[in-house]
Amino acid sequence: MSATLDRRDLLKLLSASVLAGPLQLTAAEKDKPLFFSPDEFELLDTLTEQIIPTDSHSPGAHAAGVPFYIDRTVAEAFLPDYKEAWKTGLAELNRLSFEEHKHPYLKIGKEKQLALLALLAKAEQDPKTAGEKFFALLKEDTAYAYYTSDIGIHKDIEYKGNVIQMEFAGYDAV
Amino acid sequence: MLLQFPGPNPNEVDLKSTYDAVIVGSGAAGGMAAYVLTSHGLKVLLLEAGKYQDTSKILHSMEWPYDHPRRGNKPPDYHALTVNEYNIRQQVAVEKSPYPKVQSYVQGWSGTDYSKTLVVDEKQNPYTGTRYAWVRSRAVGGKTNIWGRLALRLSDYDFKAKDHDGYGENWPISYSDIEPYYDKVDLYLGISGHPEGLPYLPDSKFQRPNKLTYSELHFRETLKGMGRVVTPYRAGVTTEGLKHNKYRSRCYGRGACNRHVGGCDIHAAFDSPTGLIRPAWDTGNLTMRTNATVYEVTVDKDTGKATGVSFLDSESKQSYKVKAKSVILAASTLESARLLLLSKSSLYPNGVGNSSGHVGHNFCEHMMGPSVSGFMKDLVAKPRTLDDGKPGGFYIPRFRNLEGQKPSPFLRGYGYEGSSGTTMLPSSVSTPGFGEEYKKHVRDYAGATIEIGAFGEVLPRYENAVDIDPDVKDAWGVPVLKFSYQFGENERKMAKDMATSGREMFEAAKFEVLSTSDEMLPEGWSIHELGTARMGDDPKTSVVNQFQQCHDVKNLLVVDGSTHVNASCQNPTWTIMALCWRSCDHLADQLSKGEV
Repeated sequence: MSATLDRRDLLKLLSASVLAGPLQLTAAEKDKPLFFSPDEFELLDTLTEQIIPTDSHSPGAHAAGVPFYIDRTVAEAFLPDYKEAWKTGLAELNRLSFEEHKHPYLKIGKEKQLALLALLAKAEQDPKTAGEKFFALLKEDTAYAYYTSDIGIHKDIEYKGNVIQMEFAGYDAV
Repeated sequence: MLLQFPGPNPNEVDLKSTYDAVIVGSGAAGGMAAYVLTSHGLKVLLLEAGKYQDTSKILHSMEWPYDHPRRGNKPPDYHALTVNEYNIRQQVAVEKSPYPKVQSYVQGWSGTDYSKTLVVDEKQNPYTGTRYAWVRSRAVGGKTNIWGRLALRLSDYDFKAKDHDGYGENWPISYSDIEPYYDKVDLYLGISGHPEGLPYLPDSKFQRPNKLTYSELHFRETLKGMGRVVTPYRAGVTTEGLKHNKYRSRCYGRGACNRHVGGCDIHAAFDSPTGLIRPAWDTGNLTMRTNATVYEVTVDKDTGKATGVSFLDSESKQSYKVKAKSVILAASTLESARLLLLSKSSLYPNGVGNSSGHVGHNFCEHMMGPSVSGFMKDLVAKPRTLDDGKPGGFYIPRFRNLEGQKPSPFLRGYGYEGSSGTTMLPSSVSTPGFGEEYKKHVRDYAGATIEIGAFGEVLPRYENAVDIDPDVKDAWGVPVLKFSYQFGENERKMAKDMATSGREMFEAAKFEVLSTSDEMLPEGWSIHELGTARMGDDPKTSVVNQFQQCHDVKNLLVVDGSTHVNASCQNPTWTIMALCWRSCDHLADQLSKGEV
């Protein structure tokens, strides 16, 4: 077997890697939510960072642009149900916060916020109440957006693949 | 002589001339028929219902999720059918879906923006009857553009299965008949694997094998003690390159084949367009007409022979007829059966080639669903290694109902496909919790996971069948298929055993088991439908002979999976191509002698 890239293969690899320009957002657009109100977006930003925070190993959801990705996804969703689930879910979280602590979620302090999330997270596998269902939605969308991001793939998981290899890595079957 | 690939249609097709062969469908079978027949110097017309799409340009195998506006996912107005929707009746789910574009379940995976034009729109292509997760591609190359690549041989355990357990019928051929053709397919298309010397899973002419991960190597050692085998994925992928094919590169272990629905933009993985059709094109003997929806095999009512086919232009819906000395159906197991059944005439009132009444019957496939997932404790919190840069994980060949073993409570066997280690996207959603602890858990376990999923033989049964539903028509006005097909008791017993034996192997390897499932996924999930026009020596109980010629009409061949007598538990693509090569050699010989 040849250990060098032959020219023909190299040309094929190069032509295959020419990407069709994706609809990249400009810097200005990136700063502005398309679907959520400024208040909702602030809440979303806090929540996603609490689901996947910055730690000593890697940056978290905020740095990875998770709230913006979720905002774009919800904004272009085809069915109103999904948009509705996000709107009412954020409202439900504030309602629960008011009920327990007389203030909206962003005003109750980190300790009470995390306690409230932990309560909703208990039923993650089989959510029943509106709050539990919202947690499941928040968790799923945050995890997907984070682990498909540049930071999630490279800085957190430290994924080493999607590269050109002359030999497969690993162990021979003996 | 056309200079463009493919021809710009439709006037390029000479409707006045008589081709040596007209082939319907351009997937594994149709591509192989085109390659073999044009290599024999025959003038061939290849008809494909879909368009030509250059997968070199559309698959973007190395694009990072974050470089795509939807992280590789399909546009918001596209919907993929779910298990629940198949369960509540696919037809209802499709008709009532609010989404403009509805596609089969495979488009529910990540990264499906790249494959959305390769699979059919379910609204345009309805079907009725029992639930069936039917995945179809109408494009040059068909499902080979995105196939799973596991390229296995069958053995006499399959060809002579009736001799082993008394069930069903033997094939009219033995392993020794097809072995030289398996060799030809291996050498012409390239296959990666490690020889194991197993009588029930014959070795191929392998190129450089995949490597195993640390946990897979440990699993292999463990299973040796149980008389079972973990072997590197036998992939229909050229890992060393093919000097005779300038359209395909060798594999460079980029690993995208498991991240998207499949497909390889440098064509290291076999696909029909670059592996077979372009070489056929280069002979100068091939004419290809895309956007050609064939709806009937035409026959001469005096001689009873096939005279050609009728087709509609898929866009203008204008009807055309073409003439050929031989007609070769390679439209896929279910579509070829549909065509035979649609081609009714006074001479063939039950459909052409169907005097036996077996067309559409003995429908079989592979059952999927039972699976085990877990992790290897030694690997938790270890640095992540490069584990997915290869064309597949590993395969565990069948180990039930073999010579000298105590018979299982079910007939036949099953194998497992498996994978392990770090992938681009960790299993983050299924990890419970949130916060720092959650994040660390996802990271620590990302490289430690291992999972296996079973593929089991579904017995061929006469009563498992498809027929024409005269009341429902597709977007081209062609009557659709009605399914009467379901798993039976043998499959249910096998599913239980799959889960039990999978768990037992994980425990033997001291893997921590996270989940075990013995639930069968809906019928059709494996995308390995087979057996609706089975081969045999007896024209009363089979549709085609050992050279895939209809018993009733010798110049009408069916060369796809519909001719398989049973499903085996081994993936069918390589067998489809080996049989097709053998039949086309035979046909070319007969045509040269004027015998058909």
